[in-house]
Amino acid sequence: MSKAVGWGAPRDAGWALPRPVEAGRSHEGAALEKAVGRAWRAPALWSLGSSAFSVTGLADPGRAAAAASREMFFRAAWSLVLRRGGLGSRGIHSPGDTAHSKGKMPPYTNYHAQRSYPMPDEPFCTELNAEQRALKEKEKGSWTELSHAEKVALYRLQFHETFAEMNRRSNEWKTVMGCVFFFCGFTALLIWWQRVYVFPKKPITLTAEWKAQQLQRILDMKGNPVQGLASQWDYEKKQWKK
Amino acid sequence: MAYPFQLGFQDATSPIMEELLHFHDHTLMIVFLISSLVLYIISSMLTTKLTHTSTMDAQEVQTIWTILPAIILILIALPSLRILYIMDEINNPSLTVKTMGHQWYWSYEYTDYEDLTFDSYMIPTSDLKPGELRLLEVDNRVVLPMEMTIRMLISSEDVLHSWAVPSLGLKTDAIPGRLNQTTLVASRPGLYYGQCSEICGSNHSFMPIVLELVPLKHFEEWSASML
Repeated sequence: MSKAVGWGAPRDAGWALPRPVEAGRSHEGAALEKAVGRAWRAPALWSLGSSAFSVTGLADPGRAAAAASREMFFRAAWSLVLRRGGLGSRGIHSPGDTAHSKGKMPPYTNYHAQRSYPMPDEPFCTELNAEQRALKEKEKGSWTELSHAEKVALYRLQFHETFAEMNRRSNEWKTVMGCVFFFCGFTALLIWWQRVYVFPKKPITLTAEWKAQQLQRILDMKGNPVQGLASQWDYEKKQWKK
Repeated sequence: MAYPFQLGFQDATSPIMEELLHFHDHTLMIVFLISSLVLYIISSMLTTKLTHTSTMDAQEVQTIWTILPAIILILIALPSLRILYIMDEINNPSLTVKTMGHQWYWSYEYTDYEDLTFDSYMIPTSDLKPGELRLLEVDNRVVLPMEMTIRMLISSEDVLHSWAVPSLGLKTDAIPGRLNQTTLVASRPGLYYGQCSEICGSNHSFMPIVLELVPLKHFEEWSASML
């Protein structure tokens, strides 16, 4: 599959894609093809159930049917793994896949613009009408012949949002700050109630008189005289040092 | 003792504590440098206008941020080990005092010459004299001679306790069945307070330690009066 980007028909929700291989297909389908291998072409794959008899060549129809259903189960599981992007050809290094995988998005919307990954590989619009397809053909020529409106149209096909749109500010911060202040205020009310109704009486050592006597005692015994409390007291002038 | 709005350690009363203060300044400076660098990086990452923020290849910076922390750790470890070894030097103490932790008081034994033993209980808040420190004063202080090397042997009679005096840089666990030793040297006279530093039951916060460092003459008079 040389086409890295598919401009073909839209993907279906399921994994059965009963259409020929050579037409343009979606990126997912191309990945599936690559991963499963050239031998498992879509027609043979999807028509496995019907062609089980001829492929396996078993005389017993019941065993063939059982074998076919087992095969179908494994193929289904395999493609489900691929669809999740775990083992696909795009590997694990395409951020567009993890949070915004195409499997989760509805058709026509491939991703949301992210500042951290502004230019994904896959285009935004995969389904193109005839007019858009014609524009893509024109894009293959010289770009100087494109009008401004055409360039804008091409941009809109390729990307979800412009940089200006992607980086736009919002008013979310007002909501956040409002909630923060609200809960701070509520907490303040709780603390106030607690001080009035819950806390016991303060001990006698926290009265101003006791604290003054305590300070005098500490200064008398020269507690922390190097850089601490007593070092800030001028013992000659009997006052705090300036 | 601690004083209001204190930011750092209490002033050092022993040479070891002075060393610890310097070491703490050194390590805190390194920590501030690292923290301000990290804050700067975070703020620049949050305010960048660049869009491709997923890094793919970072060999050079990964080398730097492996080697540089190793160097910083060595720069912290060397002074730390130096102080650790200084603390364990042979110093020929002149006096040995034993202290046993109980629930919930300390008992002290000065048994070098005579048999002097006493208990040291906290003074309850209701019995304090004006100006005394709540939860820190005791009825019998540990009187010791200043500027002399003293060996403290610390153990416990029941559960784990810890004998701590921050201004001397001392904290030693009191473990029942085990004898722990620490060395005490005070450069200045005065009262030095500490508190039990290992949870030991309901009154763990109420078994303080008060050292009264006095000149040798006063110590001799005191010990004679206590017998």
